[in-house]
Amino acid sequence: MAADSGLGDEGPPHGRAPPEHTPAAFSIRLVSFPHLRPAEVPNCGPTWESIRLSEILLLPAASPKSRWPQAEGYKFRAGPAEVEFKLNKETPSFPGRLLQHDLERNYSSRQGDHINLVSSSMPSFPILQRSSEEKILYSDRLTLERQKLTVCPIIDGEEHLRLLNFQHNFITRIQNISNLQRLIFLDLYDNQIEEISGLSTLRSLRVLLLGKNRIKKISNLENLKSLDVLDLHGNQITKIENVNHLCDLRVLNLARNLLSHVDNLNGLDSLTELNLRHNQITFVRDVDNLPCLQRLFLSFNNISTFESVCCLADSTSLSDITFDGNPIAQESWYKHTILQNMMQLRQLDMKRITEEERRMASVVAKKEEEKKRESHKQSLLKEKKRLIINNVARKWDLQQHRITNIATNQDGKDSDSQDHCQNDGSTISAFPEETGSLDSGLTSALQGLSVTDTHLVEVDGDTLSLYGSGALECLDRNWSVQTAGMVTTVSFTFIEFDEIVQVLPKLKIKFPNSLHLKFKETNLVMLQQFNALAELRRVDQLTVDPQGNPVVNFTLWKYYVLFRLSHFNMQKINGTEVTQNDMIMAERLFGILAHVASSELPQYHLISILGDARKKQFRYLLETKGKKPGIVNEENNDSKRLVGESTNRATLNYTTRDFYNEKLEEIKEKKKFCKMYIEDLVKEATEINMKNEALQKLWPQMFIELVRDAVMEIRNKNSYMKLCLQQITDQK
Amino acid sequence: MLSPERLALPDYEYLAQRHVLTYMEDAVCQLLENKEDISQYGIARFFTEYFNSVCQGTHILFREFSFIQATPHNRASFLRAFWRCFRTVGKNGDLLTMREYHCLLQLLCPDFPLELTQKAARIVLMDDAMDCLMSFSDFLFAFQIQFYYSEFLESVAAIYQDLLSGKNPNTVIVPTSSSGQHRQRPTLGEASMLEGVEASLFYQCLENLCDRHKYSCPPPALVKEVLSNVQRLTFYGFLVALSKHHGINQALGALPDKGDLMHDPALDEELERLLAQIPGLVNSVTAGPEASCLPARTPPRVGSPWRPLHHARKVDAESDGSTEETDESET
Repeated sequence: MAADSGLGDEGPPHGRAPPEHTPAAFSIRLVSFPHLRPAEVPNCGPTWESIRLSEILLLPAASPKSRWPQAEGYKFRAGPAEVEFKLNKETPSFPGRLLQHDLERNYSSRQGDHINLVSSSMPSFPILQRSSEEKILYSDRLTLERQKLTVCPIIDGEEHLRLLNFQHNFITRIQNISNLQRLIFLDLYDNQIEEISGLSTLRSLRVLLLGKNRIKKISNLENLKSLDVLDLHGNQITKIENVNHLCDLRVLNLARNLLSHVDNLNGLDSLTELNLRHNQITFVRDVDNLPCLQRLFLSFNNISTFESVCCLADSTSLSDITFDGNPIAQESWYKHTILQNMMQLRQLDMKRITEEERRMASVVAKKEEEKKRESHKQSLLKEKKRLIINNVARKWDLQQHRITNIATNQDGKDSDSQDHCQNDGSTISAFPEETGSLDSGLTSALQGLSVTDTHLVEVDGDTLSLYGSGALECLDRNWSVQTAGMVTTVSFTFIEFDEIVQVLPKLKIKFPNSLHLKFKETNLVMLQQFNALAELRRVDQLTVDPQGNPVVNFTLWKYYVLFRLSHFNMQKINGTEVTQNDMIMAERLFGILAHVASSELPQYHLISILGDARKKQFRYLLETKGKKPGIVNEENNDSKRLVGESTNRATLNYTTRDFYNEKLEEIKEKKKFCKMYIEDLVKEATEINMKNEALQKLWPQMFIELVRDAVMEIRNKNSYMKLCLQQITDQK
Repeated sequence: MLSPERLALPDYEYLAQRHVLTYMEDAVCQLLENKEDISQYGIARFFTEYFNSVCQGTHILFREFSFIQATPHNRASFLRAFWRCFRTVGKNGDLLTMREYHCLLQLLCPDFPLELTQKAARIVLMDDAMDCLMSFSDFLFAFQIQFYYSEFLESVAAIYQDLLSGKNPNTVIVPTSSSGQHRQRPTLGEASMLEGVEASLFYQCLENLCDRHKYSCPPPALVKEVLSNVQRLTFYGFLVALSKHHGINQALGALPDKGDLMHDPALDEELERLLAQIPGLVNSVTAGPEASCLPARTPPRVGSPWRPLHHARKVDAESDGSTEETDESET
């Protein structure tokens, strides 16, 4: 039948391995059914349907007792009854299923010659009569192939008929055969039947071929309990139904129908082969309820996931399956997933499964599993990361709020102490060395993740991301040279910029290659804060997110950055390339500031500013629990070098608020002292001055008095001389 | 060298009044701060340099706010430094917000209080629309008044409030440090009835204040001039008039006239030199877009209240203690 329909894809390609056994209960040694004619598909071998049927109905030459050449009579055992067909002598003496077409043609045409279709008295139903000779010759079978019948003829006196063939007619309704109660084989291939009916009396029917009709629904099979083969291919059936009682059915062909899914298969306890090719099936269920199913053909359907056919994995009997022409077969995981899940399979898509393939599949599956676990782990980590970031963000918001309302907010202390409590969670970090054994694809994805409640440190490729102020502590950790060298981007989020400033020297040491700094939610509010970045070794890119950094709203900020960090020759600011014009503009705007700062600043103050900067750095470093003096020295040299490079800008530095306030305190102390000291000095000086002035005032008078006294003394010369002499003698 | 008033006061008070003590204290303080470094190049050298810088007005650069506002001379010097350093920003034509100006101020004085900047912005913007953009010159002149006469304006605000509420100002003892009182604006009803106070009455009070006031205040004659033009005026109206009065600007002596605000040939020259140093830059600098928009209307004025730096350096006579800024501008 399929041969006639010319549907080559209705069956598996040639070379198919024959089934190892034919069910014992049904061994037929009948070579030819007329419709099994490969002749019309030349060079194509037997199509699948023909072979399937042949395999069922024909016992191949495997049995030594019944060799084809000698076989003249074939045994047809139908259940308990054993029937013998006598075949035409011209039946080929070889098992030429493939080569018998010529003979068959002769046979059928001859048979046709002997049949007389006599019009009955009723105009619609012809009455069939065969000659008695014919009857004797083919007592069990009747072929009415290609008779242009539009209705089933009334077949009279043929109650022994076992085989009835109506292939290639125009019959629209099955009728007038209810009297043929011994019928075993009914072939209605290629007609125009719209409904299965008129079969209720044919209780012994074993093979029912209804391919290429117009049937929309499987129905009226209730009494056909011994049905062995049911062929409904090429119809318009949308649903599998009313077959659950067919417990002897071994072959069910529903190819080329309109099925959208497969289920409702329970009860088909003997089904070994199920053909569902060329439907629109998206999912398959219930197949695990078929204890004998060996071959399942699902080619050319719409199956796209393994989950939709996962019941197949539970079937223990299934050995042969096809999925070709489904979306699923295009997937990279297709083969190994199927093989991994269906260990019982021997053939997949017509190809024998080798051990090698199976091993490969299990390896791939293992990998897949690992990958899945890994991705699960990663998604867990990601989720954790998200939570922590949220937590940090909340804390940050709280903190910001507190800062703005510091006067009114009294619970600041509480949350402070809370901070401390949560901060002491230990940090775990995974360095790339530890994850190195994993899939190479993974290493780039996520290398290290260090997590605590209030802050997060993450190394992702070349990016070091710090969330929350606690994360800054990570700079004290011993980073591996490899990791540290790889990090070129450092991103700060939810950290007070002033806190970042204090770790910049550490950053410079630990991550010497960091070129790109990112700031988000860091409370950058003033241009002068950018001064702090000048002490770094190199900055190529700067990204300041407007979120939480009000300074970005200033029109001048970019130019100021360019101006102040001009010694870095920055490439990009906030993702935009720095142009020559930007540089000129920056210089134009702030060049004078630098000039004034460098050339007009008194020497003593310059020293104190630069000294401060050095001291400050020194102190930050000392705070890192007294590092090796070598580093400190180097650092010192660094800052000196830096000063040499851009002296006119070095005076523009930034001290954090705390540090500055501390300094102001210090100054206040000194001022107090100076005030007292100066006061004393000045008082002393003014006192001396006053005395001096008083003396100046008195002096002329005093002088006059002195002179007058002297003059008065020497007015009387004689008495004065006498006095003098007296004094001299007294002395002696 | 010594003014005759000197004899009217005891020496100590005189020195204090003329802020000599302030500078001496500060000099010693600075010396203490960096004694190791300074002793290397000589104490005498340090003092010379210190008082020279005080004369030149460069001593306030990057100093703490408490020092910057300590003397009128420091204030004037700071105003001038601010103008010189950021004149280019104004020249560029950028309109900036109050916060941005504040940032610029903080570049010169890291702990400059926001409050002062806010008050100055309020003079320009007349209201609480504090996010508005201001031109450089508007801000600068308003800031000058606010910063230089800060204490005086506090007192004026108090007097204004008293006048508004109908008290007899002559009986009122003017608080000199009643910070923030002027923020209590007249309520809406009062304002709509009769805005401001009567100018003549206001002037009487101010004259009285100027006599008694120990901080610097604008010359009474100029205040009179400002007030004589109008019948009534509001507090902010008064401030705006003060800030726009060019006589007051001249008397204060820190900034050039408004017309010359963008003009500073010495520094412009310096800037060109700096621009030429930008690495990888060709001669495009001199033909830059701004060369054309330079305000070329006024030639450098000879009688500018501030001499260029190199002139000031030659005059050594002033370093002997008479550092009051008026002395300096008179010589």
